[in-house]
Amino acid sequence: MKHLPLTAALLGAAPFAPLPALAQDDTLNVAAQYEIKGPEASTSGFVFTRMGLTETLVNADPDGRLTPGLATDWSSSEDGLNWTFTLREDVTFHDGTAMDAAAVVNALEIARAKPGPLNGLPITGITAAEGAVEITLSEPMAALPAYLAEFRAQILAPASYAEDGSGVAIIGTGPYMVTSMDAPLSLDATAFDAYWGTAAHIPNVAYSGVSRVETRALMAESGDADFVFGLDPASVARLGMVDGVEVLSTAIPRTLLIKVNAGHPFLSDPRARRALSQAIDREGIAKAVLRYPEGADQLFPPSLAGWHDDAAAPLTYDVDAARATLADLGWTPGPDGILTRDGERFALTLTTYPDRPELPLVASVLEQQFRVLGVDVTINSTNSSAIPAGHQDGSLDLALIARNFSLIPDPIGTVRSDYVGNGDWGAMNWNNEAFATLVAHIARDGGAPADKAKAAAILQDELPVIPIAWYRQTLAVSNAVEGAIIDPFERSFGLQDLRWAE
Amino acid sequence: MKALTSRLVQAVVVAVLIGTATFVMMRSLPGDAAWRIAAGRYGYDNVDAAAAEAVRSELGLDGPALPALLQWLGDLLTLDFGTSLVSGQPVMHEIAHQLGASAALAGIALLLSVLIGPPLGILAGLRPGGVLDRCLLVVSTGLKAVPQFLLALILIVLLAVQLRLLPAAGHGEARHFILPSLTLALGLAAVNARIARDAMARIADMPFWRFAEWKGLSRREVLMRHGLRNVSVPLLTYLGLQFVTLVEGVVVIEAIFGWPGIGHALVHAIFSRDVPMVQGTALVLGLGFVLVNTCIDLIVRRIDPRGETEARA
Amino acid sequence: MSTAELYTQPARLPVARSLGASLVILVAAVALIGPLLIPGDPLAQSLLKALSGPEATAPLGYDHLGRSVFHRLCAALMLSPLIALAAVLTAGAAGLILGTLSAAMGGWVDTVLTTLADALLALPGLLLVLIVLAMVPGTATGFWIGLSLVLWVEFYRLTRAATREVLVSPSVEAARLLGFRAPYIFRTHVWPEIAPLMLTTAAFGIATAIMAIAALGFVHVGMRAPTPELGLMMVELLPYWREAPLALLSPAIATFALLLGLTLLAGSRET
Repeated sequence: MKHLPLTAALLGAAPFAPLPALAQDDTLNVAAQYEIKGPEASTSGFVFTRMGLTETLVNADPDGRLTPGLATDWSSSEDGLNWTFTLREDVTFHDGTAMDAAAVVNALEIARAKPGPLNGLPITGITAAEGAVEITLSEPMAALPAYLAEFRAQILAPASYAEDGSGVAIIGTGPYMVTSMDAPLSLDATAFDAYWGTAAHIPNVAYSGVSRVETRALMAESGDADFVFGLDPASVARLGMVDGVEVLSTAIPRTLLIKVNAGHPFLSDPRARRALSQAIDREGIAKAVLRYPEGADQLFPPSLAGWHDDAAAPLTYDVDAARATLADLGWTPGPDGILTRDGERFALTLTTYPDRPELPLVASVLEQQFRVLGVDVTINSTNSSAIPAGHQDGSLDLALIARNFSLIPDPIGTVRSDYVGNGDWGAMNWNNEAFATLVAHIARDGGAPADKAKAAAILQDELPVIPIAWYRQTLAVSNAVEGAIIDPFERSFGLQDLRWAE
Repeated sequence: MKALTSRLVQAVVVAVLIGTATFVMMRSLPGDAAWRIAAGRYGYDNVDAAAAEAVRSELGLDGPALPALLQWLGDLLTLDFGTSLVSGQPVMHEIAHQLGASAALAGIALLLSVLIGPPLGILAGLRPGGVLDRCLLVVSTGLKAVPQFLLALILIVLLAVQLRLLPAAGHGEARHFILPSLTLALGLAAVNARIARDAMARIADMPFWRFAEWKGLSRREVLMRHGLRNVSVPLLTYLGLQFVTLVEGVVVIEAIFGWPGIGHALVHAIFSRDVPMVQGTALVLGLGFVLVNTCIDLIVRRIDPRGETEARA
Repeated sequence: MSTAELYTQPARLPVARSLGASLVILVAAVALIGPLLIPGDPLAQSLLKALSGPEATAPLGYDHLGRSVFHRLCAALMLSPLIALAAVLTAGAAGLILGTLSAAMGGWVDTVLTTLADALLALPGLLLVLIVLAMVPGTATGFWIGLSLVLWVEFYRLTRAATREVLVSPSVEAARLLGFRAPYIFRTHVWPEIAPLMLTTAAFGIATAIMAIAALGFVHVGMRAPTPELGLMMVELLPYWREAPLALLSPAIATFALLLGLTLLAGSRET
């Protein structure tokens, strides 16, 4: 009987639907999960760089090699304390002003005063020189150019900032310029005529922040968005069957891992952490939940050359061995199947956050797999800040997180902050002298592949974090568009290289 | 006049209740607000102790409670909702921006429901017990038992996924209105139709109606002259009450369809502990309800000066 | 969470009510007896069976993590109705006590309570539940508190109105003169008046509460995974609609049946 009001409703709705479902105009519609907090590079800068509105001094190619951006060249002094970045000539901001050394210094100084990776660098001064910017350091830092490729180091025109340095507008140098911005959910941009590089082919682009992954997938399916970023595993499978949409997937330097409180009495012994690791069916999780071809058998994904070591002994799935190890550590099964030692149950809380839809899913799988081992895990899916907050006050047991090793294109940035500097998203209550020395050395002068492999081997053995899977980034593109690729370093959508299919 | 005064008292109590509740929330939410705000601002990849510290010192979150509450309520009286902790924009500005999107959605939903429900209800009410009346009873009972999110799910699966007639999400174009407003409208229409039907049936049973028919006026004329006016009173009263359903629907429906309105903003503000935003949106929704009902009281009085009917909310 | 309805419709056929009751009983029976007939764990996973079809031990097939949809559904059908029942009982008791108090004492007690109730009525219920959930996230307790706060107003208004009417009736006047105490008057005169209304309101309140829990689960702000909850199950299974339609349809149909049953049972008063 239901069709009666439904039909009536559709008839009633007809005047509001003058357009066919697959409208085609000259605007490329982009949908991704990110919301725009405002015209502020320190909070939403990644949306602006991805949309091609703003640029950084240094870029990175898909292999992570640094390439010229707004700086054509850079070099450091003998002692590694003075860096010179030669600026590209004849570059103008979207407001017509010139991108000169003074503007770059202004942008970098403002970025450095806000929370972010630049903030933690040993920078003593940033000065303008003739067609160049000079940065002086108090200690050598080989990865400095990589830090300048990070989105918060984007170069905006002086008019983009208020007196106090807060953002008021996005006036960049990119191939697209903002025409209107409606925080938090939408942004329109048009091609910038005076762009210094190859001009964009598609004249207009529009960004929509759509936080629900199901909704994004439906937008891709209905043709409502041409370029949909970040899909869940189920939608990838479904969209693969849909005509008119192509799904791309690329390995990215991001790892799904369990952050472990190595100071917790149950987990302080590396053997206990190895036992937990052996209880994880990585292949099952990868295939059934994430729909990836493989799980992670070490922390660093294959794309991170040097850090990933093919020769490393892989992490394995062996519940019996894990049980034996825990028995050696004095754990015996209680009446409910949960292990006990000295009257204490092996019960832990696994904290995770729903911002990435796969995390709660994997958490519920882990809960079951740890239960088989006799470990009682309670899932706490909450705000992402609970993890660094729990790290700081020491209350965290386990956390399931997706950690990006390319916040700056060189993994040393993340490794240094997470595993040496008591970083909030890395090792917790875990310190290793040999590892710290190796990393300090690599940070100073770049380091040889052997050093990186040695550092990675220490993490593999000690397991301050337990790797589970290497991420893939996914993208659904309409067949009306050609030339889409995924940037593994998640810096750009590559919109300026897209064109409408003939 | 008395009704207006009581509405005013209601509005003030609502404001104080929401103000205090959100203030207590600011102070008592589990965990540290600075962390949550930092996560909201910087995202999960970049929230860390330094970011939280920056937020804490910027917002001065550690002051004493009572002066802060008084300051808070004082600001409310001057309609100063403060600035969003996440975006740094004035809350008023954000709400004004989002209210338009929500109001457009709610307005179209209401319009659709009025176009669907009452005409069917009046037709059914003219012949109580007829085929249309029975069908309408079954359908409206069924629809009332379907929660809005389930209706949204059904419409998405049917119209967007299976038949691919309509976009499931997005905003900015006319066609984006259809699914979310239809979802809201069908639930409302089910109730509208019943009310119109009952009112019509009652009126059609009254002596003046039969007299008018006996006078030889055509059915259409009788309906226009006597029917619609009398049916509209209960309908209007009910529409005021439905504003609640609409507002609640808007919260859920906006979240499902990615509609950039006030409901979406509210859910997000709660996530990232943007208490001034929670307070602002809650106040606007609550006071909006009082305002709409006051207007409807007045309209109903105009249509039906005997004043027998009075909205109850 | 709509509010009281002014224009009562003519009482619906008792047929509708018995139909509603049978639907509710049917759903409850499945939820209670189902797991006894076919034992299974709503949380146990078998990743290899993810999204596969029905079999003897899992009559409704498996979800995306290889958990039996049937057993999750049974668990979910226990969870929300129990929360709803608890909230309605609390709200009913609070509404009854405060309503009687208000009517019996009048004066400022009545004014304060009525003003408070009116103000709460002006707040969309879902908003109130959301604010409470922000303080007590993802737990049954949060829902219980939030829903009780929303639902008591209705019980309060009904009790207050009915009690006021009864208290001025000649029979109560007589009872008072005869020296009967308040509890007796309440039991013999007030309660019989309001009992049928209260039961209708309770059925409607339970339906409202179940809808709210499911709706918030559906937008990911209600109960948390892996707890089996109706709204959460539906939103989790929505992406797999093409691959496993039965897995999505089962919770959708069960929710509809339960709510339809309660709506019919509540009868004509609500809308």
